[in-house]
Amino acid sequence: MNTLYVTGNSLLHRLSARAKLIALAATGIALIVLASPLLLGISTLAALALYASVGIGWRQSWLRLRPVFVTIFVVAIFALLVNSPEEAAVTLLRLTTLVLLAAAVTATTGIGEFVDEITLAARPLERLGLVRASDIGLAVGLVIRFVPEVLGRYQAIRDAHEARGLKARPLTLAVPLIILTLKNADDIAAAIDARGIRGHKPARRSKER
Amino acid sequence: MQIHFEQAGASFEGRVAVEPLTLSLTERRIGIIGLNGSGKTTFARMINGLVKPTQGRVTVDGFDSASDGETVRAKVGFIFQNPQNQIILPILHEDIALGLKNRRLPRHAVDAAVDGILRRFGIERLSGRRVHELSGGELQLAALASVLVTEPEVVILDEPTNQLDLRNRALVEKTVHGLDEMAIVISHDLDLIRDFDRVLLFHEGRLAADDAPSQVIARYRELAA
Repeated sequence: MNTLYVTGNSLLHRLSARAKLIALAATGIALIVLASPLLLGISTLAALALYASVGIGWRQSWLRLRPVFVTIFVVAIFALLVNSPEEAAVTLLRLTTLVLLAAAVTATTGIGEFVDEITLAARPLERLGLVRASDIGLAVGLVIRFVPEVLGRYQAIRDAHEARGLKARPLTLAVPLIILTLKNADDIAAAIDARGIRGHKPARRSKER
Repeated sequence: MQIHFEQAGASFEGRVAVEPLTLSLTERRIGIIGLNGSGKTTFARMINGLVKPTQGRVTVDGFDSASDGETVRAKVGFIFQNPQNQIILPILHEDIALGLKNRRLPRHAVDAAVDGILRRFGIERLSGRRVHELSGGELQLAALASVLVTEPEVVILDEPTNQLDLRNRALVEKTVHGLDEMAIVISHDLDLIRDFDRVLLFHEGRLAADDAPSQVIARYRELAA
């Protein structure tokens, strides 16, 4: 089991999860409002500096962020085809900044802290009787926990193809990946039950004892 | 603590995994043995409602494991055959704390409980470690700690010494024997259950023997021959 969290003592590590999540949400809104390529370029550089301060290392960073950057690049190309170059640049810089900031927050915040904060944020919904707040926190925590897990499993399936001299094709990669991920999700659900993590409702003793 | 099976059995897609049986479990140390696929794990999972009986009922201190599953699971902890599957979060301290989250305890109380359970198993040095860095024995102890931090009255261990080297096996054996809680242990490791109070033998989904360890182990050797 791998984790996106990186041990360290940077400024971001020392900040509380709540402060980081609020700042990330506020910055996300500001970036959507901001439309100047120059200002967005400065924001991207600032985000890059913040990300670098976490101490992940360039190679590891590239491995982590490559899939998202490829997606952003594709989106930017599409934006270039249908909009002006300036608008494409705005899209590219906006998304890159957001990803760098979100990645920096993820790398400096333990999943337990995420679970706590999301649970707290969902409490008002619990008071309205809509959800169980701890379930929402746990669900978000599990999503974050599963990201490196799925990537690791994808790599293992690729390695298995290579070890057997097979050409990796999208279908032969996707099918086992989906099956293994679902199996893993089943195991986690069983573990949650076995450990009583979702708590227990008030129960009546059986009448027939 | 009384676990009671009342004509309880389980079938999956028409195949009988455990034939209906009636018995009560009250002893402090209970072993479950049998060949692969004999129904041991299904039987154990029926105790805390991870598998619901398709016939009859299972109760734990009067609570029905099917209809009061969450209450029963708070009383009966279960440690899987592969402890990796038991661990949900990647950092040990966070993972153990997860079991206490929905109790709405203040953070210092959660930290104290986690530190206490790690100390109990002598693994406090592993608190901040990533789970994938732990050895087999450490992982088994971590899984045990993650379950016992919620203070169940019974703990079920599914093949706890499986795939462990001798040193880790000895560590887990010592821990199992030292547990304050009632323990139900599924195992192929006959030395582990040799001193238990009671042993159940399953064979092809049926309870084939239920007695003191020496008699049941002898019967198991006959069946396996």
